[in-house]
Amino acid sequence: MYRTVVNRILLTKNTGGGRRCLLRFPDLRTAVSSSRFSTTTEPQTFPNRPLNPADSSTSSSSTSFQTSSAAGDIPRQERKNPRAEYQGEQARVLQASLRHVLRLGWSEEAMIAGAKEVGISPSIVGSFPRKEAALVEVLLGLNKFFMDDCLQRLIDRIDSGEELQDLIPSQCIYKLVRFRLEMQAPYISKWPQALSIQAHPLNVSTSFKQRAMLVDEIWHAAGDEASDLDWYVKRTVLGGIYSTTEIYMLTDSSPEFRDTWLFLDNRVKDAFDLKKTIQEATYLAEAVGAGMGSSLQGFVGKVIQR
Amino acid sequence: MYLNSYNLPCVTISMNFTSVMFSGFKEVREEEKSQMVGKVFSNVASNYDLMNDFMSGGLHRLWKDRLVSKLSPFPGMKHLDVAGGTGDVAFRILESVNSIKRRALQDPLNDDLQEETRIYVCDINPNMLDVGKNRALEKGLGEDKSLVWVQGDAEALSFEDNSMDGYTIAFGIRNVTHIEKVLSEAYRVLKRGGRFLCLELSHVDIPVFKELYDFYSFSVIPRLGEIVAGDRESYQYLVESIRRFPPQEKFASMIADAGFQKVEYENLVGGVVAIHSGLKI
Repeated sequence: MYRTVVNRILLTKNTGGGRRCLLRFPDLRTAVSSSRFSTTTEPQTFPNRPLNPADSSTSSSSTSFQTSSAAGDIPRQERKNPRAEYQGEQARVLQASLRHVLRLGWSEEAMIAGAKEVGISPSIVGSFPRKEAALVEVLLGLNKFFMDDCLQRLIDRIDSGEELQDLIPSQCIYKLVRFRLEMQAPYISKWPQALSIQAHPLNVSTSFKQRAMLVDEIWHAAGDEASDLDWYVKRTVLGGIYSTTEIYMLTDSSPEFRDTWLFLDNRVKDAFDLKKTIQEATYLAEAVGAGMGSSLQGFVGKVIQR
Repeated sequence: MYLNSYNLPCVTISMNFTSVMFSGFKEVREEEKSQMVGKVFSNVASNYDLMNDFMSGGLHRLWKDRLVSKLSPFPGMKHLDVAGGTGDVAFRILESVNSIKRRALQDPLNDDLQEETRIYVCDINPNMLDVGKNRALEKGLGEDKSLVWVQGDAEALSFEDNSMDGYTIAFGIRNVTHIEKVLSEAYRVLKRGGRFLCLELSHVDIPVFKELYDFYSFSVIPRLGEIVAGDRESYQYLVESIRRFPPQEKFASMIADAGFQKVEYENLVGGVVAIHSGLKI
């Protein structure tokens, strides 16, 4: 993810400053990606790097004392490891908890069961980042982890998928959104609960960021090179498509979600048609304007001449 | 860096407080400190809860609630509450576990787990434990085998290694002689994934509030102790022990030195009280 943002920044720099009317872009995107990595030491060691956004977004009432600042003399390398260890354990617990979600829902019970499975005291469940009520925070931890995991798998798929480049953008987007939604398919019975957790006021900002990153990633894979207002429009539209398809999937009982994919296909087509329609409308407006302008000029000229 | 001897105020019967005002703290050997602490708490035991209410304006209940919610207890838990003589924290944990159990009644596995919950209340002072046992009887928990009252020293616990899911110490750690020993004992008895939580009166840094708090501590509290409990010296000792305790950051580094990870602290009421937490991995 970090890498794609860097590529994009380099790309936009190369296309020249003239076209770039919105200079805040790189800042926004790097700010989003850097907040994910502010407490990560080595992104490569933890493919599931879910807990850091949570760590960096603790509320103002609690102050965090990181163990790294305690060991003044110990070199940085060693200091990283103790902190990394507990995060690794937390990640393992969450991974195990996912297997219990279907039975127990996105809840503390699932996490306790997960901890027991891994062989760690369920007390660790209490150490996941807290904001207010214990249950909400626990749910937050579990849910965010899952979303990051899916994003990572999507990125891997994009990296390995050479055939994506041969497809036209609309097909590409269809495939990627479908792939991403299929990852959620096993949990579909409890997914409404997950969505409600994401919509909770405390969690809205992080879930919004995740969705934005997802949409960005998909567009990037589809070969998007827009750098002005188009960038926002494309992502908003794709965000809309993704959300509506996700909600459609909740009530879809057709075998292997056939209806959902059909729905998705139609929406993607609509979006691309809409794009063409807007383009045509723009051309039309330009033509009319030009026509009107010349006739108006002629009219005014005649009036002045008189 | 810790000195081997501690400074204690001159606890003399001849009500001469000028020595305290001129910071005439006497150096006391460590063997004597635990004796003095023992005497203090034997004196205050019977009125302990009442004085807590008076001094904190009832807030200590909220602080303990916050501690237990941070702990996030679960059925089947083995928990150790050190210096928790009168049982405040233990009762709260028990209530929390029982309520979770009722929620999870659908799951047949959990019924066995409920039997396994054990909350050990450890205190060095038998008078405090007696008060706690009486309170348990009043609450109707006398027959409950989840609560176990143990007399013991926080610096040399009688529990096995890796046997506890949680460890709490509420308003107790400033009274011990060797904080590092208590922390390493806590680390020893906790299981992997177990949490250490410490609720303690701590340092206030906010400018105006600090002065108010100092005035309240040194002028109001000993007087209250005199009126309500008839024991001014003990409460004078209490207030001074708070000032002597390391500040939040220092204490957090001590916890980290004992081997805990993810060491954090949360200030309540601007630093009057702080909850430190650590994770054993």
